[in-house]
Amino acid sequence: MTHPLEPRLAAYIAGRMPQAADVAVRGLERISGGASRETYRFILHWTEHGQDRQRRLILRRDPPASLIDTERRVEFEAYRAFHGTAVPVPEMLWLEEGPGPLDHPFFIAEELTGFQAAPQALFALGDAALAKVAEAKWTILGRIATADPARLAAILPTPAPDACWRRELEHWAGLIDRDAAHPQPIAQAAIRWLRANPPPPAQRVGIVHGDYRTGNFLYDAQGGVHGVLDWEMAHIGDPLEDLGWSLQPVWSFGRTGPGGPLAGGLCPPAQAVAIWERASGLTADPAALHWWTLFNCVKGQGIWLGSAAAFASGGNTAPIMVYPAWWLINAQDRAILQVMGKL
Amino acid sequence: MTPAVPTVLAQLAAQLLAHAAPDVPPGERANQLGLTAALMGILAETWDRQAHILVEENAALSALLGAPPAAPTDLRLTALGAENDRLRAALIVAHEAAEAAGDTARQAAIWAELAATTERRRLSTAPI
Repeated sequence: MTHPLEPRLAAYIAGRMPQAADVAVRGLERISGGASRETYRFILHWTEHGQDRQRRLILRRDPPASLIDTERRVEFEAYRAFHGTAVPVPEMLWLEEGPGPLDHPFFIAEELTGFQAAPQALFALGDAALAKVAEAKWTILGRIATADPARLAAILPTPAPDACWRRELEHWAGLIDRDAAHPQPIAQAAIRWLRANPPPPAQRVGIVHGDYRTGNFLYDAQGGVHGVLDWEMAHIGDPLEDLGWSLQPVWSFGRTGPGGPLAGGLCPPAQAVAIWERASGLTADPAALHWWTLFNCVKGQGIWLGSAAAFASGGNTAPIMVYPAWWLINAQDRAILQVMGKL
Repeated sequence: MTPAVPTVLAQLAAQLLAHAAPDVPPGERANQLGLTAALMGILAETWDRQAHILVEENAALSALLGAPPAAPTDLRLTALGAENDRLRAALIVAHEAAEAAGDTARQAAIWAELAATTERRRLSTAPI
């Protein structure tokens, strides 16, 4: 059975590959991980210089309403900024911002095959592989932290070092005020604390991935990391923000060590910080990192509440919009309490 | 629970019907069924306890806010939830006032109730 998007997608790609003939899209199917974009994999077939060719590709299309509202150009350009560097990402091919070809904006990228992203399968690997994943994960994050933000400065605002925290906090506090269907006494208390106790200015202003967590990178069974995904919340800011997101407790996926939740379900937080500091050459001031970790708990709550709001409004009634809200809103409150020392 | 359970169930029913069609790609169907199963698991855990949680929580919040104890007369989840919203909004105001006044004992009592709230609502599958 041909997916109804296949011929439309083939026609679009044919228009961008003038050297190709007999362009066809086959095997299009939606895959998981599409809460903020609908994500499909497919195989592109074409003929070039008399030879049959094929390539596995990914289509990321905007849904009617998203778990997070982001510009697909930002995501597309963030991937492009790192392609070919020591931060592994798939190659971006085409960006379409108009609704004509496939009803909603989208981009097309290479599919990195042979790897997994699912956290539960990751945790089934042995300790040695998990240690390698941890080393790779925070080493790559250190590289992102020290990348030249000029790569994205043309499309993203660059805040002053002392303005990073306020811009992010007010953005997410505003979304919570907009989207929360019920009063949020824990998130509101955290927001008051964050406003009253700001972190020091960023030691450098750099590229922030915005969603760097276990589940958003591709790994192999030996512990290698081969692709960093989901750049839709990328922005320029304090690199400690990304480190704090990677440490926020819900991303432990319930895995704990002797000192509490494991960072990303992989290793003690202190070890993750040490890897990041070694790779980036930056310092994670404990008080500043605490601020950014708590901020990221608030940000997480903003995302889950926004997901529920998008569903309730009828803008996107896919089950993926419900699951994070039902599963994580209370857990995120507990994470806030834990980071604030109230649990 | 947010989004509200009846709305979610209606959408799940529609999605299940759509994905029961024979021409749905297997991977897409598997994703949909997996998510639906996960949501049903959460519902199974919360179904019996939800009214009790709200009654208990509303009583605790009323006591903390100094309101006279009163047994709820309407036990529908929507009514209990509306009262819970009213009390949690009042708690935010009370918490801010305690912070402004430097009333650490009052703040500690509020934090204790907030922690208890998350314990009541905790899911067995929650990451924390």
